[in-house]
Amino acid sequence: MILTPESVAKIKEKMGKYPHHKSAILPAITIAYWQVGHLNEEIYKEISKIINIPIVEIAEAATFYTMFPKEPVGKYLIQVCHNISCALLGADSLIEYLENKLGIKKGETTSDNLFTLISVECLGSCASAPMMQINDKYYENLTREKVDKILEDMKKQA
Amino acid sequence: MADGGNNITLTIDGREITVPKGTTVLEAAKKMGIEIPTFCWHPKLKPVGACRICYVEIEKMPKLQVSCATECMPGMVVHTDTEKVKQGRKAILEFILINHPLDCPTCDKGGECDLQDNTFAHGIDDSRFDFNKYRFIKDRKSTFDDVRLGPEIIRNQNRCILCYKCVRANKEIFGEYDLGVFQRGNLTEIDAAPGQQVDSLYSGNLPEICPVGALTNTDWRYKVRVWKAQQVKSICGYCADGCNLTLWKRRDKIFRSSSRRNDEIDEGWICDIGRYGYQIANAENRLTTPLIKKGNKQVTSTWDEAIGLIARKFKEIKDKKGGVCIGGMISPTLDLASLYAFSKYFRTVLHSNNVDFRNDYKMLAEKYGDTFGKMASLEFKIADIEKSDLILVIGSNLIKEHPIVNLRVRKTVTKFGASLYTLNPFATKSGDISTDEIIFNAGTLEALINGICVSLISQKLNASDVDVSNFGSMANPNTVSSASKITGISEERINALAMALGKAKNITLIVGEYIKASPLRELLSIALNNLTIIAGINKKGQIGFLYKSANSKGAEKLGVIPYPSPNLIGKMKEIWKYYPDSNGLAADRMIRAAKKEEMDAMFVIGANPIWAYPDGQFAKDGIEKLDFLVVADLFESETTEKADVVLPLSSWAEYAGDFINLEGRLQHFSAAIKPQNGSLPAFDIIGRITVEMDKPIFESVEQLNNEIKLLLAVLPEKAAQSLKLGEVKYSEEKISPDFSIPLFVTDDLHHYGHHTKEAKSLAAFGSEPYAEISPAMAEKLQLENTEMLRIESEVGKIILPVRISEILDNNVVVISRNFATTPVNILQMRKKRIDRVKLSKVED
Amino acid sequence: MEKKILFKYIDDPNQVDIDTYISHGGYKALEKVLKSMQPAQVIDEVKKSGLRGRGGAGFPAGMKWSFIPKDSPKPRYLVCNADESEPGTCKDRVLMERDPHGIVEGMAIAAFAIGSHQAYIYIRGEFVYPARMMEQAIASAYGKGMLGKNIFGSGYDLDMAVHTGGGAYICGEETALLNSLEGERGMSRIRPPFPAIEGLYACPTVVNNVETLASVPLIINNGAEWYASMGTEKSKGSKIFSLSGHVKRPGNYELEMGTPLSYLINDLGGGMLDGYQLKAIIPGGSSTPFLLPNQIDTPLDYESIAAAGSMLGSGAVIVIGDKTCMVWVIDRLIHFYKHESCGKCTPCREGTGWLLQLISRIEHGEGKPGDLEKIDSICDNIFGRTICPLGDAAVMPIQSALKLFRDEFQYHIDHKKCLVKSEFEFK
Ligand SMILES: Cc1cc2nc3c(=O)[nH]c(=O)nc-3n(C[C@H](O)[C@H](O)[C@H](O)COP(=O)(O)O)c2cc1C
Ligand code: SF4
Ligand code: FES
Repeated sequence: MILTPESVAKIKEKMGKYPHHKSAILPAITIAYWQVGHLNEEIYKEISKIINIPIVEIAEAATFYTMFPKEPVGKYLIQVCHNISCALLGADSLIEYLENKLGIKKGETTSDNLFTLISVECLGSCASAPMMQINDKYYENLTREKVDKILEDMKKQA
Repeated sequence: MADGGNNITLTIDGREITVPKGTTVLEAAKKMGIEIPTFCWHPKLKPVGACRICYVEIEKMPKLQVSCATECMPGMVVHTDTEKVKQGRKAILEFILINHPLDCPTCDKGGECDLQDNTFAHGIDDSRFDFNKYRFIKDRKSTFDDVRLGPEIIRNQNRCILCYKCVRANKEIFGEYDLGVFQRGNLTEIDAAPGQQVDSLYSGNLPEICPVGALTNTDWRYKVRVWKAQQVKSICGYCADGCNLTLWKRRDKIFRSSSRRNDEIDEGWICDIGRYGYQIANAENRLTTPLIKKGNKQVTSTWDEAIGLIARKFKEIKDKKGGVCIGGMISPTLDLASLYAFSKYFRTVLHSNNVDFRNDYKMLAEKYGDTFGKMASLEFKIADIEKSDLILVIGSNLIKEHPIVNLRVRKTVTKFGASLYTLNPFATKSGDISTDEIIFNAGTLEALINGICVSLISQKLNASDVDVSNFGSMANPNTVSSASKITGISEERINALAMALGKAKNITLIVGEYIKASPLRELLSIALNNLTIIAGINKKGQIGFLYKSANSKGAEKLGVIPYPSPNLIGKMKEIWKYYPDSNGLAADRMIRAAKKEEMDAMFVIGANPIWAYPDGQFAKDGIEKLDFLVVADLFESETTEKADVVLPLSSWAEYAGDFINLEGRLQHFSAAIKPQNGSLPAFDIIGRITVEMDKPIFESVEQLNNEIKLLLAVLPEKAAQSLKLGEVKYSEEKISPDFSIPLFVTDDLHHYGHHTKEAKSLAAFGSEPYAEISPAMAEKLQLENTEMLRIESEVGKIILPVRISEILDNNVVVISRNFATTPVNILQMRKKRIDRVKLSKVED
Repeated sequence: MEKKILFKYIDDPNQVDIDTYISHGGYKALEKVLKSMQPAQVIDEVKKSGLRGRGGAGFPAGMKWSFIPKDSPKPRYLVCNADESEPGTCKDRVLMERDPHGIVEGMAIAAFAIGSHQAYIYIRGEFVYPARMMEQAIASAYGKGMLGKNIFGSGYDLDMAVHTGGGAYICGEETALLNSLEGERGMSRIRPPFPAIEGLYACPTVVNNVETLASVPLIINNGAEWYASMGTEKSKGSKIFSLSGHVKRPGNYELEMGTPLSYLINDLGGGMLDGYQLKAIIPGGSSTPFLLPNQIDTPLDYESIAAAGSMLGSGAVIVIGDKTCMVWVIDRLIHFYKHESCGKCTPCREGTGWLLQLISRIEHGEGKPGDLEKIDSICDNIFGRTICPLGDAAVMPIQSALKLFRDEFQYHIDHKKCLVKSEFEFK
């Protein structure tokens, strides 16, 4: 089992919120994602067993949504918004800045497996542009100093 | 305008039409003969309005509307051919084509591709798209980027236009979950479920409904271009559902079979056995010449020599010992003419009533008039299942026995909301849509039925016109609680089912092989008769004791059994001016007689009793004792091996004829090709023998057909079952603790009888024997998939690789009989109501 | 002018606690409704208030509720749309983070009005913190008996749950949202049937935006007249505007409907960033057509913005300064719409892909003569021809840019470079 007993319990709790088990697909995928950091076939299979829905339906839903990486990523998944409001305030050069700082290109993971850098569509933080999401947290009104500090802190923590 | 609320009048292209409420604009236009192009629309699927090629203009609506998903409204004024419509459709085609490979010359759908046809019709010859087309498999220039999704299915995603018909049909109609839609936007892909193959029994329908060449099947790929193939109307020769087929041939070879939609029966879907089963006609190892046993060896011979020998021997035995010493078994997958000729030959030439088409049932009745026979002659219509609000399936692994009836049941449940109750000794695929899937202890069905009857009575839900006051004394068990104890089904569930039966307005009862093959067939039939009377099913709905093979119903109607109904006998006498007065023997009695050396010869056509009869040793012993055995078949078999004369038989694709399906529906099929490899159809073989014996029984097939017509006109004796309750007393089986696990021998999902293993495509789904057990049982025996399992009964032992079932969940073992190197029936005993075995792991 | 009614307590960090919320008069409206009103009266009140949907289309909320069949034997559902994915929009998030009980209460009232006993709030998956705040608010409301069985002793039962998405703009579209909630892929459904007849699990369903529902308790507490006294003739009340782009003080501002755009941009937003002149304004989220500097005094209400040639949409005002290449802007947007097309219907799926290819080749200096006409025609072939409005959303900004800034596109094709080079350095 990849999913921990806690995750399984959370999924089962979610199942109770809907009249049909199928509705628990997205919550289950989400719970699995936050536990594991990505999704894969093995996870679909486990979810399929827990909520008793054919695996194909799990995979169909999972691949529709772009928030869940389907392959392992670094410990910190840096997602920079490149949509219009952020772009108007320099999202592209923020990405470039991060690329240089981390020594990787967009889409890549650092060799120590600490950071993966990607850019994403609007995250609903347009009035605090430019911004990025790292794992489950938003970092807004970014400046170079802020970015430096954020990365420093994360490296320290790791 | 709306009339009475149920009809709607609207105008399409200047003409008025009135249609029932709920009709779509597309359907209304179709009725008027107006062509509207479609891709994602399918008559049997819920519309999704995705492809948008079916645009029409509707007055007062500024936007183009998709006709497939727009319901007709009173007073609507629709235009299907305005400039705006044409422009809209052309734009859609342009969009579809931008990333389409346009590899028509190498695409197998060429000639029957909706995209090709529509593009042609819209005169699109140039594209404004000047980028590289998106390729689903990158780094390859060619479009031959095919991916195999299943044993018979190839996918080319680049050609896919995302109409989703395959996935929709798979889930909506077939209830299968082995195919899906993944990713999104213009990266959307159709693919097999993770870790799975697309290999359901209905998988062949997916390429068939694909409007382009995205899904194709291995069978037909790159063999013939459609426009060079000829189409022949045929009927499936396997199960009794009677699906309508088209056989595609070129130069006396068949290349594929496809569905020929008949809404009364198949609604345009066929199972893979029907789709690929024709390949037995092309199989390489067909028998090619008659064989005659010389010494201990069968040597090739000629038709003349073989027919001469058969005629001489049969005449000799008949003259010396009487026709009663000759037995005849014929396969119920043969056409009416052959079945009839067989019966007529035995009865009028050999003067024997020893004819039977039931070669794999235990302990058949010995005389006419059993309850089972009456129940089996009741009317049943596949389409009428849809009228039911409750479907009760008893003793049937429905998908295996009747794939297309299964789809109709699914439809009635999933689309119209009927409830389904299944009563079986093990779990089946119908479980996912059952209101309650009742899995009773094997061998206790009559107790369960008694329980339901008692519950109906005690809940006062029994039919009002039936006197049930004595039922308690006729039944054992006669309380719900004792029935519950015996069967292992809780009282609540028995009561709930009884309640549902009592409340239902229209019931379809389907009874399957479990009852028919059982030696307690008669007792079970009486129990079921009680149930139909007490629950009033005989008055609200239909009862289907469904026959199994393509022409079983025909064989029954023509009296190809030792004791036909008096009416039938009367008619035979009238036509033939003769009818033998000896008592006929049923198939199993013939074998017993042979074993006791009371039978000298046997004529077997298309059947394989040594393999099929549910007591392998018994059948083998009997048949080996015969002095003279003639077997006609397509392939060598366990039974042909023992024969003195072996005759190459034609498959149904090689001659014209008729089948009667389980509904009693007579259906004609044409000859697709000539008899192959020097084979002959059965009626022809029989005709030649009778000529050789100087007793020709027909001059032409027409004559046969005319006589058949007369017989078919004979009504079954008082068709309805008697309104009399019968006594049903359950007696406990003694179960040896050593041999306690129920064994069920069935056909593999993709096989039917002993021929289909020779069909290449069907063999691709699996051609190795296996034994299925539940995951719990596997764990107990410490077996992993494909490890070896020893299965022992009191009379035999076999070793098979194990398959851990996703469906089975109780202590049983299910063995598919189709490809066992050792026939599975050596484990079976003809008198046992449940064959029981012990299981153990084979340590290597 | 600024009108903080939804935002009244937005700066109070304790507003997220149920006790603080109650001390500010919270759950009074729900109590009033449950104890003294009939569902029909609630619907009437909301109708009278003139409240219109804040999710984008501006459909009258009370009217939508009244479409729920009165006699359907099926359960009914209320779904709050907190997918907030239209680029430029970030208002619902603020409400969820800082005043979640206002949403819970609004949902409960709406659920009561339509006879629903199960409500869901669909929150975009990236909003982890807002979702947590909503979960907490719901849990504490259950704790106080304001959700669950027999609320306020009225005999009315209501369950409420949070459902989070997985990264898909299309799931803000109500039918795609319902599919997503059912565990299907988040693809739009054809209409009819409309959700009011066959929505969630094929049962009657109302889908409303967060802001719409959060306005409901205010209307119940203060009366429809009070609400209707604000705003313009057809656009009543107040609305939150998300101001972003080249302004000094971006942020969420609640304004009375009809307040001039210039007030938002200049007075509240502090005007353009230093060194920038106003070039264009997107008034209602990225799918709405551009307004030009000379339209800066347009009142922010549904009718006035429509008259100016655009749409109020979700109220996301994106301010674009000079030194911004409009080809680049459009390239960004079509990239987004192509990425977010669900792929169900042909024009949107194939059309957005083709448009992206054309626009990005122009952006990269590889445009060909005739490309603009091709884009015009592809847009025409998408607009109004798709299952859901995402197709329209994708082409409207393109059509608008090609109308207003065609010269920049032409220049790109002719000179293989920008007429106006975009320069936004991140510092
Ligand atoms: C592509 C698309 C995306 C949408 N996204 C959102 C969204 O993120 N939030 C929202 O409230 N409404 C969104 N909508 C509008 C919803 O479909 C729906 O009209 C709205 O939730 C109804 O609520 P309202 O009447 O309260 O505005 C979107 C519509 C479309 C076509
Ligand atoms: S318009 Fe786009 S998003 Fe909407 S249904 Fe069609 S493909 Fe999906
Ligand atoms: S056939 Fe109508 S949209 Fe595809």
